[in-house]
Amino acid sequence: MIISENTFNNITVIALQGTLDARNAPQLKQFNSAGAAANSIVINLSEVDFLDSSGLGAIVSITRLKRSQGGDVILACMNDKVRNVFEITHVYKLFDIYDDVEAATLNAEKKQTSL
Amino acid sequence: MKTLIIIREQDYEWLHHFFPDIHPLLVPICNKPFAEFLIDFSILAGSEALRFVMDGPLSDVERYCDNGNRWGIPVSYASIQSTDDLQTVIEKNQRFCSAERVLIINGFIFIHYDKQHNYKTLLASLPDGEILSCDSGSLSLRGSRSETQKVLENIPLSLIRLDVIDVYYRLCMEILNAASSPYVLPGYSNEAYCHIGRNVVISKRAEIRKPVIIGNNVQILADSIIGPNAVIDSNVIIDRESAVIDSIVLANTYIGEHLEVQNKIASGNILIEPESGISIAMDDPHLLTGINTSGSSKSLFQSIVHGLAALLLILLQLIPFLILWPILTLQGKWKKSTNSYYTAVSEKYLILTTTAIERTGPLSTLAAALSLDRFTLLFRVLIGQLAIIGSWPHVVTPSKITEHSSTESCCRAAVFSYAETEEWPVNIGDTAIVERYYAAHGNPMKDIALTLKALFNRIHETNTHP
Repeated sequence: MIISENTFNNITVIALQGTLDARNAPQLKQFNSAGAAANSIVINLSEVDFLDSSGLGAIVSITRLKRSQGGDVILACMNDKVRNVFEITHVYKLFDIYDDVEAATLNAEKKQTSL
Repeated sequence: MKTLIIIREQDYEWLHHFFPDIHPLLVPICNKPFAEFLIDFSILAGSEALRFVMDGPLSDVERYCDNGNRWGIPVSYASIQSTDDLQTVIEKNQRFCSAERVLIINGFIFIHYDKQHNYKTLLASLPDGEILSCDSGSLSLRGSRSETQKVLENIPLSLIRLDVIDVYYRLCMEILNAASSPYVLPGYSNEAYCHIGRNVVISKRAEIRKPVIIGNNVQILADSIIGPNAVIDSNVIIDRESAVIDSIVLANTYIGEHLEVQNKIASGNILIEPESGISIAMDDPHLLTGINTSGSSKSLFQSIVHGLAALLLILLQLIPFLILWPILTLQGKWKKSTNSYYTAVSEKYLILTTTAIERTGPLSTLAAALSLDRFTLLFRVLIGQLAIIGSWPHVVTPSKITEHSSTESCCRAAVFSYAETEEWPVNIGDTAIVERYYAAHGNPMKDIALTLKALFNRIHETNTHP
């Protein structure tokens, strides 16, 4: 899995590419974002071509950590494969999901400044 | 133009009580799923793409509508939070809503339209903002304005709030009684007030009184009376000398002999009186019952594989169990508790005795590491009451029985939980995520591999209960 990092509207955007499964989940969990721990991040899932329960676990764990630090994880650009997994497992109820990275970062920034 | 259809769980929650197995967007209105009326209207309004946005599950709708090829309009899906306001919903669907005019259907509402009208031109000429609204929903336009703008008056549209079963019933009857239906309804219709689907067998001695609408694969046996005002959905059997008058019979329902259904809605073994909203579950399958359409060969294979795995585990655990169980019982480290559980494997409520082993010594640690606390449950797999791996059975109290049968029907109560195969679940919510994932992606052979993984993971577990 390729993990790349960018910044939009002062928000760190982590773009995932490839497979997010049991083998790659630790890579995402250990990924140290350049942004401050308390800041919200946006995860771009448009290029994820496979996601399993361990991958979901990695996203949920990062989110739990971020929320405990006062930040949040916002998901963006889910493709159908990823959305299907979120749908089956009802994980969609835990996240704010945007269909556009820019809109997601704007919202994350808004949330951050309101804190 | 694009159409954004926003529906919230709180608006359709009431429908679950009556039709627990049907997604609210797929509840049939005169044998046509509600979602199809919305799609039809979107097409008439000139939409080139449509998106269903919900804070509840969408998978059933997605399975039915797929990508919209059937209607020639791309259909997509998105999830929102129940607390999101309209502006947040639009922001969350920014890419879909950008650059074009968007028709927003907000709420669990039925739109009264007429297929003869040219809504495309009409809506294009309307200004942005709300077109129509009712108690729980609205129809509005958003986006780039057209040059010529009409004033909002005499729009040939109206909204109905779907909030009680009586409204649903009356809506079906109203559509059925329209001589020239303003909607496209399923089935063949050579004459007014009569629509009949494919593969319908009507006995020569049966009487059909218009208006009626009959779905596909329906059998109407001798001396039965159908109508007036009867809506019979697909896969229905009306047995001899029965009558369906002023009533709706939903799909996969058997109406027994000599039964008169009048001013009612029948769905499976449930009979609903629309006016009062009272529903009765019939216990006698000869009177009224559901027709099971799901294939059983897969579950039979699954039961066999799970049974064999359980048998093998019993053989492996028998000797350690016979040695350790009496010792730990005497030491007070073998703690039993008996509760009532729901299992979708046999669709029954079971009284199960579960065990917790106190890991405070070498023998109890060994017993827990060998998963001996699950030993007695393995026999339940052999008789088909539990699966070898699935969801940890949910404790039910009598007050929660009805609720559980509908909400937890996806859960296959088992000796081992899928969550025990993963290391990340830390709470019940996480456990449910993993269980749902494997419930959808599992197969019998994969289950064996996952059982071995769960057994292996349990060696390092600190407690004996998931």
